[in-house]
Amino acid sequence: MQDGRGTNQIRNGSEPVRQCYTPLPEFYYDYNSSTTGGAVMHGYQPDYMEILKLDEDERKKRLAFYELTDEDFKRLASLRPFADRWTHEITEGLYELLMGQPESRAFFPDEATLARVKRMQNSYFLGLFSGNYDINYVRDRLRVGAAHERIGMPPKLYLGAYRRYLALIHMRLLDHFKGNESEASNALSSIRKIIFFDMALAIDTYIAAYLETVTRHQAAIRELSTPVIKVHDRILLLPIVGTVDTARAHQIMETVLLQVVEQQAKVMILDIAGVPVVDTKVADHILKTTAAVQLLGSQTILTGISASVARTVVQLGVEITRMHTRSKLSEGIELALSIVGKKITSKSVRGGGEEF
Amino acid sequence: MAAASETKYTVTSTWEIRIDKEADIVEVRQRVRELAKEHRFDQFAVAALTTAASELSRNVWVHAKKGTARIDVLQSGRKVGIGLEFADHGPGIADLTLALAGGYSTAKSLGLGLSGTRRLVDEFEIETEVGRGTKIVIRKWKKDY
Amino acid sequence: MAGGPIPILKIGPTLLATIQIDLHDTVVDAFQNDVLEEIERTSAKGLIIDISALETVDSYVARTLANTGKMAKLMGTNTVIVGMRPAVAATLVRMGYFMEGIDTALSLEEGLELQKIRTTVPDTE
Repeated sequence: MQDGRGTNQIRNGSEPVRQCYTPLPEFYYDYNSSTTGGAVMHGYQPDYMEILKLDEDERKKRLAFYELTDEDFKRLASLRPFADRWTHEITEGLYELLMGQPESRAFFPDEATLARVKRMQNSYFLGLFSGNYDINYVRDRLRVGAAHERIGMPPKLYLGAYRRYLALIHMRLLDHFKGNESEASNALSSIRKIIFFDMALAIDTYIAAYLETVTRHQAAIRELSTPVIKVHDRILLLPIVGTVDTARAHQIMETVLLQVVEQQAKVMILDIAGVPVVDTKVADHILKTTAAVQLLGSQTILTGISASVARTVVQLGVEITRMHTRSKLSEGIELALSIVGKKITSKSVRGGGEEF
Repeated sequence: MAAASETKYTVTSTWEIRIDKEADIVEVRQRVRELAKEHRFDQFAVAALTTAASELSRNVWVHAKKGTARIDVLQSGRKVGIGLEFADHGPGIADLTLALAGGYSTAKSLGLGLSGTRRLVDEFEIETEVGRGTKIVIRKWKKDY
Repeated sequence: MAGGPIPILKIGPTLLATIQIDLHDTVVDAFQNDVLEEIERTSAKGLIIDISALETVDSYVARTLANTGKMAKLMGTNTVIVGMRPAVAATLVRMGYFMEGIDTALSLEEGLELQKIRTTVPDTE
């Protein structure tokens, strides 16, 4: 059971914690800890309010764009009796569609799950008529969307369900207002507005979830692309593979510097055999990194310099003659070892003992 | 919502600091550092912003003796940024091209002042008129990942 | 020991100055003064400036420190700057400032080792 308390404070002028644990709401609805048969992730859950920058300001802007006014709020609140009367039938009608299609049926594998989600659907429906659509309402609707995204329900089904919802509501409204077309029409207009408002939030959570995934992947790619290896005590090696653009060059410098300090490395070997193009920009980035390493009090050895790179660099007039450079990585490692006072020797053919 | 050449943003909070004594350089620097950390810029970005703030507020102090620093927290969609504006009614810069090229040497500054600072930030704008004053605006955006 | 806010200690033939405060220009200038006076007073062979606590080093501070090293050298004292933070190194280099002509080391220990090498071997550079 989750009982975490993580209040989302979207204060003007501050950046709340980027990823925080979103607690279950106790207010309004009777949700328990799972939104659908056991597919809930306890623990970490991204904070969509934060990701979508959904603060008071944004809420007001959205209400305005969906043309939700005080009149709508009053009307929706006054329809609460209608909601109470019809919630079960409408929910049934919705699940008739969901269970009738194999694709959507798959999300409700057993009776217990179905019962639970129908209960929550009722709560959701009643929520539309609360008359109060403050930031907590927004937060709650985001949670609903997030829950659907998490179980893997595709937007097409989610939106299709909303359409059915509206149709069912329309039918019942006509009954409720006993043929008074204009009243029914007004009511439907307000309901449609709040439903679209909710749908937008739901779709936003899908988008936010995908963005989170992309961000995570980008972070992973970054990490993989700068693997600093400890070759020996106080000797680090970074093989740079692939094109080096400005962003990557910045990231390489930062990783190198952080590692040099963390490992107290006396030598940093940068191998560029895997860099396809070494032009003035790349050379400049390498020079800057080397200079920065030197400022820290360590040395850099540049290895993997091919004949064509050597030619290009000198022809371009780039000054890397003051750096340690070698054409092969193995030579660089030997040089690094000698800098720290070690060397590689062969084991003697006869006799015992290890030599290193 | 047309795409412009500069990033469209809103200012979510702002601080203004008057620069009329040497200690103000440190105050600007500290405020920028605090804000950058609060908004979770990484240590390299914090250092870049803080150093740029230090350089530019020192310029105001050294050359104009009086001016203002305005620190804005910016928001552009999902991105967060920090913008700094330094304005003074000092002597202005006579040869802007030279000053930005990095070879411009004046009293206390290194001679790499403006061009160096420019390399620390994402956006750099300068308006200056000899005898009227100088206004420099810089912006740095937090990396997305 | 000088009167400024930056303590300067003597460890054998070496002076150790640890900078732990946010630096006002006047403080940096005073520091330079104090250090040179201490060198004169104690005939120290080496100077170590520990900047591991400095989060921001702008061009003025960088230049003053580098100049201090040069001035000390004229007086026969070798200077090593230790503990520079990664973000500080990156920023200086990105600005285009490479702090030439001064020794640096990763830590105080490394700095003292380097001092030993420099002060026992005659100037070859």
